Amino acid sequence: MISYLAKRVAVLLASTATAGVVVFAFMALLPGDPAEVALGVNATPEAIEALRRQWGTDRPPLTQFLDWIGGLAAGDFGVSYVTSSPIGQQIGERLGVTLTLVVGGMVIALIVAVPAGTFAAVHHRNPLGALISAASQVGIAVPAFLAGILLVFVFAVQAQALPSGGYVPLTEDPSLWFQSLLLPWLSLGLVQGAVLTRYVRSAVLEVMREDYLRTARAKGRGRMGALWRHGLRNAAIPVVTVLGLQLATLLIGAVVVERVFVIPGLGDLLLNGVAQRDLLLVQGVVMVLVVAVLLVNFVVDVAYAVLDPRLR
Amino acid sequence: MLSVEALTVRADGVELVREVSFGIAPGERVGLIGESGSGKSLTALSLMGLLPEGVSATGSATLQDQPLLGVPDKRVKGLRGRVVSMVFQEPMTALNPTMRVGAQVSEVMTLHGVPRAEARERALDLLGRVGVEAPRAYPHQLSGGQRQRVMLAIALANEPSLLICDEPTTALDVTVQKQMLELIVELAPAVLFITHDLAVVASVCSRVLVMYGGRVVESGPLREVFTNPRHRYTEGLLAASKLTPRGTRLPIIPGAVPSRFPSGCPFRDRCAHASPACESDPALTGEGHAYACWHPRD
Repeated sequence: MISYLAKRVAVLLASTATAGVVVFAFMALLPGDPAEVALGVNATPEAIEALRRQWGTDRPPLTQFLDWIGGLAAGDFGVSYVTSSPIGQQIGERLGVTLTLVVGGMVIALIVAVPAGTFAAVHHRNPLGALISAASQVGIAVPAFLAGILLVFVFAVQAQALPSGGYVPLTEDPSLWFQSLLLPWLSLGLVQGAVLTRYVRSAVLEVMREDYLRTARAKGRGRMGALWRHGLRNAAIPVVTVLGLQLATLLIGAVVVERVFVIPGLGDLLLNGVAQRDLLLVQGVVMVLVVAVLLVNFVVDVAYAVLDPRLR
Repeated sequence: MLSVEALTVRADGVELVREVSFGIAPGERVGLIGESGSGKSLTALSLMGLLPEGVSATGSATLQDQPLLGVPDKRVKGLRGRVVSMVFQEPMTALNPTMRVGAQVSEVMTLHGVPRAEARERALDLLGRVGVEAPRAYPHQLSGGQRQRVMLAIALANEPSLLICDEPTTALDVTVQKQMLELIVELAPAVLFITHDLAVVASVCSRVLVMYGGRVVESGPLREVFTNPRHRYTEGLLAASKLTPRGTRLPIIPGAVPSRFPSGCPFRDRCAHASPACESDPALTGEGHAYACWHPRD
């Protein structure tokens, strides 16, 4: 177990370092000099040169990279070209909102998928099970932003029960906070839940055919008792793989859903940064997103080892 | 002790096992032999109440006067693992891969009301008796033979009055096979032993049932049936398992087990002695040594 963990940590560190290089290189290769963009078309070359020197973008790329990555290791993301405020602080404020969105969406997906998928598997021979499969198929075909717009139309415009957008911090008013996040959570969670339902169903169907479930019944367990005690943990192994992929998808989906619901999260910050050519900010946000995905993969790897003793 | 009367197993209207009757006395070890597809496993699974979905059993089976057939699973599951246990053919997949073997042994006891601490202690003892002294091991850390012995420990944990073994040694090496059989003989109460290995039956059982086409075609004391088979199928089965001098053709039963058996005697389309009489059903007749054949071997 220790050596497995050490290996996973090494992989995490190596891939984070690689991600840093890729993100930096990608931003460096983008056309458009931030100083030129900031000062407009009428700026004198001297003014542009002065701004470059101030931001440090006149230095060789390698120096800039080492400076940036060194700062990141210490939690310093640099200062925004546009607002002159520290980027790390801005990301910190937004990260919490986005994580709340993603985790809430995932929780809804699990609440939907685990019971629905298990039910569909146990009843795979009768119409109700087939109905759940068909419904999840429809859910898969709907992208999160469309689900968001539909939810807004039904619950905010027609029923006027929930706000169509905006965000209230938890510290300000927990009830309004919950209301402002409910539709975004649903639009992320229901779609992912539909996808996950199918994976849960096939994983449960798979373990239902396993010999050890028959052994459990031979010990004196009923059908459901055997599935509960011996099936679910084994079924969780493939589901965790999909869960990891979905968390990454949700992180990206959140960027779009934040736009639909006007929520000040990382996605909102990222899109603003792109619109204002605030390259250092964009670089920082992208790096945070990439590291988040890598961390999710790390957690998935650890979860495997916890669930499946054969991997330890 | 175990009494099976007219057990019939059907799937989609097709009779897979037909009118099988037999009994097992306390302490008796009975072999159930026949080729794959003859209905041996279905017979065993129906006694355990573990038939696959879409397959159903009729007839009657009682174990110590408690009915095993035609009662809801709720009642039968209280008997499974306590009064009647089963060891399956495939040791590699029969144990839960994510659970320590000690826990899998003690589970069968706590499930039937043994306090947790006591169950854990007895699990250690049982694993020691079958020679697997690694309660904290996961199944993948054990060999096939060790896993099968864990299965045996699970099956015997509650001291059942009947142990059903479905080809428990088929997947094992010959040397490991012998250890396993010795353990079964030493530890088990009454046994219903399913196999297609006649040598294994000869070393374990005192009485034997021969199945073909979902029917018992011959039954009797092992020595009697093996030295003086009356049914033509048993005769062929024994001939096919004899060691023959090098260079001679191996004796075989012509043809293969069909997917649908003929009416009347199920063996008549593979039998050299078949006549028009075989189109009607031969009854299993005879005291002690019984057989269902119109043209028995003398």
